[in-house]
Amino acid sequence: MNTILLQVVNPNVNVTSILPEVIVAVAGTLVMIYDCFAPKQKIVTGAISLVGLILATIALFALWSGSYDFANAWNGMVAFDNLRVSFTLVMLFVSAMTILISTVWTEREDVPIGEYHSLLLFATVGMMFMASGNDMVILFLGLETLSLSTYVMAGLRKSDLKSNESALKYFILGSFASAFLLYGMALIYGATASTNITEIAAKIGTANFPALLLAGGAMLLIGFGFKIATVPFHVWTPDVYEGAPTPVTAFMAAGPKAAGFASFLRVFVLGFPVVAGATATNYLHGSWVSALALMAMLTMIVGNVAAILQNNVKRMLAYSSIAHAGYALVGFVGAGVAKTSEARDGAINAVAFYLLTYAVTNLGAFAVVTLLGEKNDRRTEFEDYNGIGFKAPVLSFTLSLFMLSFLGLPLTAGFIGKILVFGPAIQSGEPLLTVMVVVAVICTAISAYYYLRLIVVMFFKERLTEWTEPKIPITLATVLIITVIGVFGLGLFSDRVLSIFKTSPTATKAQLK
Amino acid sequence: MNYITENLLTILILLPVFGAISVLGHSMFWKNESQAKWITLFWVVVNFVISLLLFGSSQLSANGFYFEKNVPWIEAINTNYHVGVDGLSFWLVILTTFIMPIAIISTWGAVEKRHTAFYVFLLLLESAMIGVFVSLDLLVFYLFFEASLVPMFFLIGIWGGANRIYSAVKFFIYTALGSLLMLVAIIALYYIYAAKMGTAGTFDYVLLVNAAKLGNLDLVGTTGTLLFFAFALAFSIKVPLFPVHTWLPDAHTDAPTAGSVILAAVLLKMGTYGLMRFNFTLFPEASREFAPIFITLAVIGIIYGALVAMVQTDVKRLVAYSSVSHMGFVILGMFSFTEQGMQGALYQMLNHGVSTGALFLLVGFIYERRHTRAISDFGGLANSMPLYATLFVFTAMSSVGLPFLNGFVGEFLIMLGMWKSHALTITSSVNWNYVATMFAGTGVIFAAVYLLWMIQRVFFGKITNAKNKGLSDLSWREIGLLAPLLFLMVYMGVYPTPFLNKAKETVVSIQQRVVGGEKGGSFEKAEVKTENQLKH
Repeated sequence: MNTILLQVVNPNVNVTSILPEVIVAVAGTLVMIYDCFAPKQKIVTGAISLVGLILATIALFALWSGSYDFANAWNGMVAFDNLRVSFTLVMLFVSAMTILISTVWTEREDVPIGEYHSLLLFATVGMMFMASGNDMVILFLGLETLSLSTYVMAGLRKSDLKSNESALKYFILGSFASAFLLYGMALIYGATASTNITEIAAKIGTANFPALLLAGGAMLLIGFGFKIATVPFHVWTPDVYEGAPTPVTAFMAAGPKAAGFASFLRVFVLGFPVVAGATATNYLHGSWVSALALMAMLTMIVGNVAAILQNNVKRMLAYSSIAHAGYALVGFVGAGVAKTSEARDGAINAVAFYLLTYAVTNLGAFAVVTLLGEKNDRRTEFEDYNGIGFKAPVLSFTLSLFMLSFLGLPLTAGFIGKILVFGPAIQSGEPLLTVMVVVAVICTAISAYYYLRLIVVMFFKERLTEWTEPKIPITLATVLIITVIGVFGLGLFSDRVLSIFKTSPTATKAQLK
Repeated sequence: MNYITENLLTILILLPVFGAISVLGHSMFWKNESQAKWITLFWVVVNFVISLLLFGSSQLSANGFYFEKNVPWIEAINTNYHVGVDGLSFWLVILTTFIMPIAIISTWGAVEKRHTAFYVFLLLLESAMIGVFVSLDLLVFYLFFEASLVPMFFLIGIWGGANRIYSAVKFFIYTALGSLLMLVAIIALYYIYAAKMGTAGTFDYVLLVNAAKLGNLDLVGTTGTLLFFAFALAFSIKVPLFPVHTWLPDAHTDAPTAGSVILAAVLLKMGTYGLMRFNFTLFPEASREFAPIFITLAVIGIIYGALVAMVQTDVKRLVAYSSVSHMGFVILGMFSFTEQGMQGALYQMLNHGVSTGALFLLVGFIYERRHTRAISDFGGLANSMPLYATLFVFTAMSSVGLPFLNGFVGEFLIMLGMWKSHALTITSSVNWNYVATMFAGTGVIFAAVYLLWMIQRVFFGKITNAKNKGLSDLSWREIGLLAPLLFLMVYMGVYPTPFLNKAKETVVSIQQRVVGGEKGGSFEKAEVKTENQLKH
């Protein structure tokens, strides 16, 4: 009792441990203040945002390779492990790329640029806390910070009815999911008397009311399932993604999804482990693993089959993002059934790596789609891509490359990502999981149809109407260069990134000592 | 020179990639696409010449491969860039580098648009094909296997015939589905190795086979069966084995001539090569157990392909269906599990590459002149194009299997092997191996029927269509293109020994592995052995 009281009175405030988050938050505030006095300075606000994100990345690396003792930072509310670092890296990358991609769109349309940039940064802060929070309260705060920012971002194109619809839909359904999530957290707290993930994992074997665990787990599953858009909680995705401005869609498909996965993994894989002899806990573990395996299969099937039927490229990419959440879930389930902690961490890294490959590919694809979309995203139907292949060879070939990476073809990032997430599930040897992987590869073959369709319309069809290649602005060219290098680099020389993901901060610390 | 021989296979894989970059660079800076074909030709000829160094001596590595190279690639998943050739892959690599210059020259005047991209894709395709035959790491093998799809997809899709989009997508999805299941099996092997050996997992073929030979991997029962079929499906689609052959006629018909030639000569061989290399050595038990299925499907494929070829109205489609029939023979020979049958299968792979490649070239020549391939549009071509008719008949004879031409040797060996085989049950009243051989034998007769009937309708009789009157006979380029193939048809038909000798050692070792006996054993021996083991 005494120690708890002491902690409350004298909390372990350690700003260094959340330095990256703080930097991004400060950058966001700076942008907001600057915008008040000198509105619409997109170069300045954009630069501040980018610098903030880059500094945060540097801080992340510095923290991670230095020797710090963060065991009790914020009384254990902040985590300092692989999961945080690898996912945060993905999120910072996504945000920085989004800012670059947005330049085309903000130039074309009248966008309140200061608000946009600060919202994006606050969303990033929220995402980062979703990866770094080791307490369900922090996770929820992060999630809400993220969600509120993205609700607004989805509706930024104020005069467009579709954008408004998108924002409202996202808001209503998102709040509903947040309520589920919060209720689930409350029930877990009821069962274990703690909101700290590490403590929950320690106490879960001797929970007060085992039934609460199950109900709470189910609620959390629904809440997180909504946030990462898994079937059957995916229905909002296509409408929201189609209606939102294209760069925002790119952001939502890659960033918040990675953040959702980070929290989801932390709560379920690290918080609800198998405890020898505890029937109720193991029942919870068994049921969430099989529930997620089923959800993964459904997600892949529905996402891929629905994507085939789309005639709009943005909508196709929305469904494809649902399908990719399914593939990442395969790795998630693999992490859930891992027998050793190394295997578990390996699987978590695999999911993070998969989301990184997806983010790289996705942002590259959306960069091209944004550029070709013209004002108000008028040109996003498949027909609009007819025969542009040799008229705009650079754009078309890079877009084709991204499609092949989505498909998981060798030499691209997507291939290594797929191998890594399928591995742990195959390793377990359980029939359900093997079936899940087989479903995953069959779905991949199905997905060839719609990914190739874009290549087909671009290269194999003839253009009948007049069309001139749009100029590629320097920011977008940067994005394309980075993502193309990323796709090949992660496909051919993934060793480096994988070893970064693999080296845990504590291990680095031990080496230094 | 030393450096070249040490890294020979890597050079063979990378040279076309450099070629592709140079073609791309050339047309970007000089804005002149007409020279793309010359640059491409230069690179593929250089690659062919370098590939001849394979004939030179090299240290036989401890793993039984020549020109072996093994360097780490992605250490996190313990995969290595491991390449090497042996008797099985040797001729296939040579066939690839040999057929490429011919394919390139065949397109000399035929490409009407996007020259640069066309030749870039051809060069990338060559690189992927060589990679498939030499990789000894399952993941690297898979990588090349899949990578070969993309250039072919574009070749069919952009420069193909009327139905090109449908054919290209069908080709891609069919092959991708099979190979993705193989990917699952490859990852499963990795973890099985890790679990059974208590070390890190591996994708290395040599390590896996060695462990499997010692019985350490326990690849029998359900696991073995599932893995066997995951591999076999991928390869069967590629071969293509009846009933998963339907992508082939479409892809062949709509591909440009160079694409068809490469598809027939090399891409199909990836399937038969894979079956022999991976299925037979990793899963011999399952291979023996399910041989009857494959033999049955092969025989059905031989007869079905021939019968369907007979009723085709399009010459190219006819040749495509004849491929289904011929590749059925290859499967039949392999699954006879006799030395003759397997040698014959390997030989027939080369034969099919030469003969069918030549047939597609010949069809391409007439298509360039008349822009049609319908049999009914022709008739009496022998009057206007006597040389063309002669060479066409000659090539068709090689495809049918006339003695002293290459097809005969392969088919004879396959049937001999199947006749002696114990792969199917032998009861006191019926030896099913005989039955299978006899049914397969009808395929040869059917082949004569459909090819000769087509030749009769196309070349003989009076010229009925006025457009066929003024056709020019073969040019020197076209003759030069066919000459090496015609020479090989005769040479391989008269003196097959050097080809067979080169492959013998590897084929025998694979055969011994798959039948499970010590010395070129047979099924009876393997079964006797297990009975003896039971007694102990």
